[in-house]
Amino acid sequence: MMQHTSKKWLALAASLALAGVLVTAGCGGSKGGSQDTLKVGVTNFADSLEPTTNYFGWQVMRYGIGECLVHFDDKMHTEPWLAESWKVAPDKMSWTFQIRKVKFSNGAPVTGEAVKKSIERTFAKAPRAKAMFELDHITADGQSVTIFTKRPVATLPGMLGDPLFIIVDTASDGKVDFAKNGPICTGPYKVTKFSKAKTELAANENYYDKVPYKNVVVHTIDDPTTRAMALQKGEVDVAVNIAPGDMALFKDKGKFTTSTIDSLRDVLARMNQAPGRILSDKRVRQALIRCLDRENYAKSLLKGTFTAGGPVMPPSVDYGFTELSQQNPDKTNVESAKKLLAEAGWKDTDGDGILDKDGKPLKLDFIFYSGRAELPLYAEATQADAKKVGIAINLKNVDYNVLDGIGIRGEYDLLISNILSEQAGDPEVFINQYWKTNRNGSNPQNGSGYSNPAFDALSDRLAVEFDPAKRRTLVIEMQKILMDDAATVIFGYPQTNMISSASVLHADIKPCDYYWITKDIAPKQ
Amino acid sequence: MRTLLEGFRTNRAFRLATLCVFVLLAITLAAPWIAPYDPLHAVMTDANSAPGAAHWFGTDKLGRDVLSRVLCGALYSLTSVLALVFVIFVLGTTLGIISGYFGGLVETVIMRVADMMISFPGVILAIAIAGILGGSLLNAMIALTIVTWTKYARLARSLVLQIKEKEFVQAAIVNGGTTSHILWTHILPNILPLLVITAVADIGAMTMELAGLSFLGFGSQPPAPEWGLMLNEGRQQLQTAPWLMFFPGLAIFGTVVLFNVWGDLLRDVLDPRQEP
Repeated sequence: MMQHTSKKWLALAASLALAGVLVTAGCGGSKGGSQDTLKVGVTNFADSLEPTTNYFGWQVMRYGIGECLVHFDDKMHTEPWLAESWKVAPDKMSWTFQIRKVKFSNGAPVTGEAVKKSIERTFAKAPRAKAMFELDHITADGQSVTIFTKRPVATLPGMLGDPLFIIVDTASDGKVDFAKNGPICTGPYKVTKFSKAKTELAANENYYDKVPYKNVVVHTIDDPTTRAMALQKGEVDVAVNIAPGDMALFKDKGKFTTSTIDSLRDVLARMNQAPGRILSDKRVRQALIRCLDRENYAKSLLKGTFTAGGPVMPPSVDYGFTELSQQNPDKTNVESAKKLLAEAGWKDTDGDGILDKDGKPLKLDFIFYSGRAELPLYAEATQADAKKVGIAINLKNVDYNVLDGIGIRGEYDLLISNILSEQAGDPEVFINQYWKTNRNGSNPQNGSGYSNPAFDALSDRLAVEFDPAKRRTLVIEMQKILMDDAATVIFGYPQTNMISSASVLHADIKPCDYYWITKDIAPKQ
Repeated sequence: MRTLLEGFRTNRAFRLATLCVFVLLAITLAAPWIAPYDPLHAVMTDANSAPGAAHWFGTDKLGRDVLSRVLCGALYSLTSVLALVFVIFVLGTTLGIISGYFGGLVETVIMRVADMMISFPGVILAIAIAGILGGSLLNAMIALTIVTWTKYARLARSLVLQIKEKEFVQAAIVNGGTTSHILWTHILPNILPLLVITAVADIGAMTMELAGLSFLGFGSQPPAPEWGLMLNEGRQQLQTAPWLMFFPGLAIFGTVVLFNVWGDLLRDVLDPRQEP
C-alpha cells in the first residue's frame, strides 16, 4: 500500500517536471522567407469579396485587388488613380472624369463605359451608396465618364475614392463569382483562392506597373496577440495593427520595421438615446462621459498609442481639435458626474452600489467586439469607472458581423467601435451617418435616436457647400453641437501601425485605412 | 465514515492530501478577508505592473491586483465547481438508481437519453449549449451538468444491477421491505463509495472544463475574477506581462492536481478492492 502511494507521488513529481520542461521549451523562430511570396497577417471581417456588400470592399482594396478612380495621399487630399483628372461642371450638377488607359486583370480595357457600368452596379446593389450621394445618371464617352447628381455634391471625387466604388469589370459579373472568387478589378494582385481565413493572390499580369511579388498570401489572424506572434516567428512578413501591449516586442530595428501613424480613426461609443432609454436623459449621458478617465486610458492602459478623446474629429485632421477640446463641457470630472446623476433623480435606494430610479437600476448594455485589442480594454475600463459613480455596465461581446445590425436596430445602450472619421477624404459622410436625424430609415446608420434640427440644418448646408474653408467651419459647428448634446462617448484616437520583417521594404501604413497591400511593398534585394 | 477515519489514521499520504484540501478550502473561504485589495478595484495608472512588494502577483491590464483576483477567484471558481459536482452527483446518481432498480420503460428512457448525450464530444456539446444559452457562469454550469450527469447515471445503474441480485437485497424484498427502505439502507450505502470517489476525482476535470468555458467566453463574464477568464484576459499580454497568465494558471494547476491526488487516495482508502 505505502509503496503504491509513493509510486503515485513519484508519478506526480515526474509530471510536474514534464510540465516544467514544456513551459521552458520555448518555440524557436523558424524563418523561410521567399522573395516571390509575401505573407501578410491581417484582421478580416469579410466572408465575401463582393465590394458592394457591407464594407467588404475595404478588404478588396486592402488586399491590393481593387482600385478606385481616386486615391488619397498622406494628408487625405484626393489624387489621381484610375482617373487621370476630373472637373466639375459650371452648374455643379455633374463631374467629368478622364479615365487612364489601363486593363482589368482579365485583359478587358477600362473604358468610360466600363466605369459607368461599375458605378451603376454599386448603386444598384449598395444602399450605402445612396446615402453618400444621389445619382441622377451617368454618361460615358470614350475614356471619359460624366456623373450627374440630383443635387450639387462638393466631395464627389473623394466619395468615389471609397472602396464601395471599386471599379469592377461588370461584364465578368456572373461568369466569375465575385463573392467567392474575388471581383475582376485593376489592382496589382488578383485572387486565386479565397476563404475568410486565408486569401491567396497572384500578380496581375495586366497591371499597368511593376508588381513586386509573384504571390501574396493573406492570413486572417483576428487575434492581435496571435498576429504579433506570427510575425515574431516569421509565419508572416507583414502584420497590420499590432496591439499597444505588443509593440515593444518589435523594437529590434535589424529585424523589424515599424511604421506608425496618427490614424484618422475614432474609438467611440454610440449612445442609444431613443425615448424610454436610460440615456435619453442628457444628464445621464454627460455623467457617463465625465466619469470616464480618458486621459488615463490613453496613457496607462494603451501605453501612449492613443490620444484621449474629446471632439468628434481626431487631431490628425484640421477640424478645430484644439479649440473644441478646450470648450468640451464634459471633461473627466467624477464629482460632477455624481451630481448630475443625483439631479437626474438617480439614487441608490437599495444600497447595492448601483443607482436606481422608480425601481429600475441604472444598468446599461455595452456592446463590443474583440477584433481590435483596445475595444475590450475600453469596455472594461468603462465598466470599472462607471461603477465608481453607481452606473452598472453590462458588457456584451459580439461577433463583428452582427455589430452593424445591432447598431442599425438600436439594440444597445452603448456600442463601441473603431471607425474612420474621413471616409471619402472628407468628414461629411462620417459626421452624418451616426447623428443626422433618421426619418423612417433615411439614415439607417443612426440607430441611436439622436436628432437635433440645428445639426441637420448645418448638415444640409454642408452637403451643398463647395468652399473648403466654409466646409471646415460647418464641420466644427456640427462637432460643437454633438459635444454640447453629449451625443457620443469619444474614447480616443488611435495610432495605427504596420510592422514588417526586415526582408520587406516600403510596408508603410497610410492614414487612410484602405491601403495595406500596395504595389509599393517589395522584397529587399 | 469509519473506513475514512481508519484511512486517515493509517495512510500518511491521504492524511497529507486531506490536510492540503482543507487548507485550500480555508484559503478559499477566507479569500475576501485575506486578499490585500478589492479584486475589482481598478487603479489604471498602475496597469500591468510586474510582481513586486506592493503587488506580489503584479497587476492586470486595468491595474487590478492579481493576487487578490486569484484569491477571490478561488471562492468564485471553487464554489461553483463544488456546487456543479454536487448537482451532477445527485442528479446522475438518482437517475441511475431509479433506472437500475426499476428497469423497464423508465430505464429505457433514461438510459437512451444518456446514450444520446454521451454520443457527442462532451466539451463541444457544452460549448454549444453554453453558446445557445448565452455567456454566464450559471449557464456554463447548466451546460456542464447536461453533458456530465450521464457518467454517474450509467455507473450508478450498473452498480445497482449488480447489487440487486445479491442475497441480502433479495432477502429484504422477500421480507416485505418497502422500496424506499431497500434503496436507502441496502442499495445506496453499497454503491455510494465508488460514486463519491468518482465525484471527487471529477472535481479536477470540472475545474478545467469550467475554466475552459470561461476562457472561451461562455462562462463568467468580465469583470468577475474567475481563473479561466483571467487566463483569457492575460493571453493578450502573454509576452509582455506573463504574470497575468502564470498565477491564475498555477492556481488552476494546483487545484486540479490536489483534487486528483486526493481523489486517488480516497479511492485507496474507501475501496481497497480496486487495488491492482
